[in-house]
Amino acid sequence: MFLTVVLAPTAVGLIGAVLALFISITDLIVNNYGEVVIDINKGKRKLTVKGGAPLLMTLSEQEIFIPSACGGRGSCGACKVRVLSDVGPHLPTETPYMSKTEIDQNIRLSCQIKLKKNIEIEIPDELFNIRRFQGTVEKILDLTHDIKEVYIRLNQPEAIEFKSGQYIQLVVPPYGKVKESTQRGYSMSSVPSDRNHVELLIRLVPGGIVTTYVHTLLKEGQPIELTGPYGEFGVHDTGAMMICVAGGSGMAPFKSILNDMLENGKKDREIWYFFGARTRKDLFYLEELAEMEKKWDKFHFVAALSEPQPEDNWQGESGLITQVLEKYLTTVIDGGAPKEGYLCGSPGMLDACIAVMKKFGMSEDKIYFDKFA
Amino acid sequence: MSPQYIKAQANMKPGVITSSGFLGDDERPILDIISHDEETMRKLNLDFAEVAEAMHRIMTEGLKGLGEPITVDEVLLVQVNDARGFLPCPFEDGIFRKTNVAARLASTGRLLLYSDLSLHLFEKHHFLQGRGSPFRLEPEVLKEVLRL
Repeated sequence: MFLTVVLAPTAVGLIGAVLALFISITDLIVNNYGEVVIDINKGKRKLTVKGGAPLLMTLSEQEIFIPSACGGRGSCGACKVRVLSDVGPHLPTETPYMSKTEIDQNIRLSCQIKLKKNIEIEIPDELFNIRRFQGTVEKILDLTHDIKEVYIRLNQPEAIEFKSGQYIQLVVPPYGKVKESTQRGYSMSSVPSDRNHVELLIRLVPGGIVTTYVHTLLKEGQPIELTGPYGEFGVHDTGAMMICVAGGSGMAPFKSILNDMLENGKKDREIWYFFGARTRKDLFYLEELAEMEKKWDKFHFVAALSEPQPEDNWQGESGLITQVLEKYLTTVIDGGAPKEGYLCGSPGMLDACIAVMKKFGMSEDKIYFDKFA
Repeated sequence: MSPQYIKAQANMKPGVITSSGFLGDDERPILDIISHDEETMRKLNLDFAEVAEAMHRIMTEGLKGLGEPITVDEVLLVQVNDARGFLPCPFEDGIFRKTNVAARLASTGRLLLYSDLSLHLFEKHHFLQGRGSPFRLEPEVLKEVLRL
């Protein structure tokens, strides 16, 4: 009886402990990759790092930030790099995010590549300019019932160099049931000349981790972390007429772009800016944009409401923004002028706008966009 | 539970596929969650296929708002948002765009929140997610908002 009650569980426990020790030792031996060298852009940077971790995280520890919206969980497909050395075939977790061309070029998701040996990679040179910033929330303003303007003072480093149209990744700490820090990309609405601040327009997405945090927990005076600048969206210096379309927080890059152009005296281009919202309470910055129209005779702002309410007393354009865009391209805007499209919004909005623009002879390679997804 | 369900339950924990996971505060095995919700659906006279069809239709209608809220069936305010990338199903039978649907019933203000993935979990696996999960589908809310 004594043997059964006391010795048997002790023996089982002992065997378990020995097995656990064996597994730990095996793991240390098998998964100890030692130091590995990451060669970036054919010798431009060489990093000697401890192997074993995913490439994305290792580069981040070395202050090289590859854009990622999911924190390395393999669910956003953003952290693509070209791998020039052999790291094995594409994983099933990578292929859904890759086109055939990308697979042929050995483009990989850096969060899925475990560093086991020396590796050669190629990344855009601009990524070397991305920094991690510690800032303080200086001001939060409610622009609409679901969009906040967040103005952040940069403390460390104190200044950011960026081009209007670029975005940053905001990092929010764990909260509630969210056990890890989470980051999402947001276009900067501030002008590049305001080097000590970053301004963001953040729309509440029901169920969204970062937007819920910003709308319910983020307070003025609070420290906040961000990385950036990222992205290639911005004005192409050609002189062609600019047809800009946005909705909701898609206002952000255009606020930055337009104010930057004004600041730099670039007022010679014809610009049409179409902004879509559902009702009057979803519109914002109307006074600022009206003021801009007064100062800039070639700038035209057109707001459109898709479902104006009786109490809105709306006298402006009604309908989906694509319908209003089509109406203006048909009846108001000079059909013969060379044009470029600039879009910021949901994938559905972008696709619909591109279809309208192509219908009016605009070339797809002259339509630039900042896709939310 | 079968190995498939054990793996799925592990995939549903916070930090594996999504930061907050699929189980919320619910500590029950997922088979218990599923069977309990199937029973509730039966009591409410809700059919999984019929509910899923209504959710698909609302998503399709909501997409016509091009990212802005749009009125559907004259009683629902629907907004469809897209985030970058895809999410794999915890049962490992597909990947889904990060498309979120927020459908609010104007008369009561009741909100139904679902995603491409939560709709798949509901339709194919009868998994409505654990209590307290951000994308938990409450049968009572489905019945009220979808008016079934």
